[in-house]
Amino acid sequence: MSHAAATSRSFVLAEFDGPEPLFAAARGVRAAGHTRLDAHMPYPVHGADEALGLGHSRVPLIALVGGLGGVATAYLMAWWMNAVDYRINVAGRPFNALPAFVPIMFELGVLFASLAIFLGCILLFGLPRLHHPVFEVEAFRSASVDKFWLSVETAGEPGPIAQQLREAGANVVEVVEGEP
Amino acid sequence: MSVEIRTARPAHDPLEPGPLILGKPTDQELNDELLSHVYAPRRGWILLFLVAAGGTSLLGLGVTVTFARGIGAWGNNVPVAWAFDIINFVWWIGIGHAGTLISAILLLFQQKWRTSINRFAEAMTLFAVMQAGIFPLIHLGRPWFAYWLFPYPSTLGVWPNFKSPLIWDVFAVSTYLTVSFLFWYLGLLPDLAALRDTSQGVWRRRVYGVFALGWRGSARAWRHYRIGYLLLAGLATPLVLSVHTIVSFDFAVSQVPGWHTTIFPPYFVAGAVFSGFAMVLTLIIPARRLLRIERVVTLRHLENMAKVLLVTGLMVSYGYVMEHFIAWYSGNPYEFAVFFKTRWQGPYAPVFWLMMSCNVLLPNIFWFKKARTSLVVLWIASLLINVGMWSERFVIIVTSLHRDFLPSSWAMYAPTWVDWSILFGTLSFFSLLFLLFLRYVPAVAVTEVKELRHELAAHGAAAGHDAVGVPLAEEESNA
Repeated sequence: MSHAAATSRSFVLAEFDGPEPLFAAARGVRAAGHTRLDAHMPYPVHGADEALGLGHSRVPLIALVGGLGGVATAYLMAWWMNAVDYRINVAGRPFNALPAFVPIMFELGVLFASLAIFLGCILLFGLPRLHHPVFEVEAFRSASVDKFWLSVETAGEPGPIAQQLREAGANVVEVVEGEP
Repeated sequence: MSVEIRTARPAHDPLEPGPLILGKPTDQELNDELLSHVYAPRRGWILLFLVAAGGTSLLGLGVTVTFARGIGAWGNNVPVAWAFDIINFVWWIGIGHAGTLISAILLLFQQKWRTSINRFAEAMTLFAVMQAGIFPLIHLGRPWFAYWLFPYPSTLGVWPNFKSPLIWDVFAVSTYLTVSFLFWYLGLLPDLAALRDTSQGVWRRRVYGVFALGWRGSARAWRHYRIGYLLLAGLATPLVLSVHTIVSFDFAVSQVPGWHTTIFPPYFVAGAVFSGFAMVLTLIIPARRLLRIERVVTLRHLENMAKVLLVTGLMVSYGYVMEHFIAWYSGNPYEFAVFFKTRWQGPYAPVFWLMMSCNVLLPNIFWFKKARTSLVVLWIASLLINVGMWSERFVIIVTSLHRDFLPSSWAMYAPTWVDWSILFGTLSFFSLLFLLFLRYVPAVAVTEVKELRHELAAHGAAAGHDAVGVPLAEEESNA
């Protein structure tokens, strides 16, 4: 399928039977100078990050910040509420009783870290986004079942890329246009 | 003239574990098989659903009576101010623990057999924690003030007491429910996308599409997903240990004989995992037949769970022995009386001996492979262990409270029909939620099973004990 001069971005989508031919094709397309690549896979496969040239994930950092934030929030909350604003004398124990605050500091640390991971992941995934140009292709449904799709985003002429992917052994090659 | 050549098949190694996936399905076949129970209901599902819905009305009835007439409708009294409500709370929370253990701890230990049962077990966790949450709320007496449990700036000008284990409980249980849900939902995203892409009918595709949030299986997303999922597992692991630890603090920090003991946290956690694995078995043995997922939930999975039951059962037994030893060794006459007189010979002694039979004697049948691999034995044992663990909480709570320091304040406790209807109501409500889950959500983490199949195929024999297994090799040679 070829389109005349593309106005918005074009996505060249190619279906492969397995991850290895997809990675080989991805390396070929990257060697030809296209860098905006993505792969759509039914399950994660080792080697995708290298083949597509993706960097490290920032999720661990997000988790760390969330966790420390939770611990700090819990301590400050317990300290201010029980030692400053409303002092409760429990059998003469200190008002600012760090050991007794540990369970809630731990729980809130875990809670905030988990929320940070979940929400951070969803944001990094670019979700929720119910529509995306790749969904225009009916055959793309196989991406969540058993096929591996390579997506090349380009502002230029998609024809040569489609040709290259066909030569790399793709089962199906489609071109769609839309906002990335 | 052809000569038939027969090659000797290698003898079956009795130490070689059974397969994790039977046969050699393709990704497409796995997808269709494991999602088929969502595409169309299984026969018998609607009947079970109606039974569970009928039972759930008992919960509605019990809770309505409780709200209308107050806690007096229950058997609770003074001194037994904690009874069915707290027994059931602890029991349900404990059941939840196995789900997190399977999904998080076994993931960190790279136990590949967790893959086909983790979704199932996580759902069990969520629903069990929901049942558990009902009990402290209705026990409040004025449940419409339940928000007083949380620290919020109120016109009353007071704040919760953060030195109390009861407030720790609020944070532990609500964190546990939230994190379990996030972990479950993150794992579910790719499977919801598969449902969106393979379901028949526009509405099903739309609904699953909305819940899948637009997941495209993008490599850019998988990169974050993998590490995010692993980190959530890493956080859920200490969390699950903390939850029952904190539940045990509710008892251990008090001075009531039979509660005032430092072994409670590890002993509660072991008991929780023990009862939770029993509940997983209770549910999965019929469900794997109903959903026809025997291909990925094999005898190997059931046998492994039986081994966990044996190990945790022994830990629980050790807890019982230690409690008794310390009661004697402490020289405290009240502790001694509770453990050696009230529990062994008192009016509730039958419950104590039921607990000992189910939790200490029974798991020892799992030393034998015949018991570990017999569906009937496993299922009946799992039910009895659930009964045993419920009895344990009854023994801890009721026997300790009904005879404490002053004989003048001793009293007997008997549950009323309201107590029973709430207990059976939560069992039914749990079943109802579980049946809805089995109908509308992929009960097996299809994506992870595909990934496992891919890994096993790539590593083959090198995967050793985690290999697909002998029957696969046999099928190949037959083909």
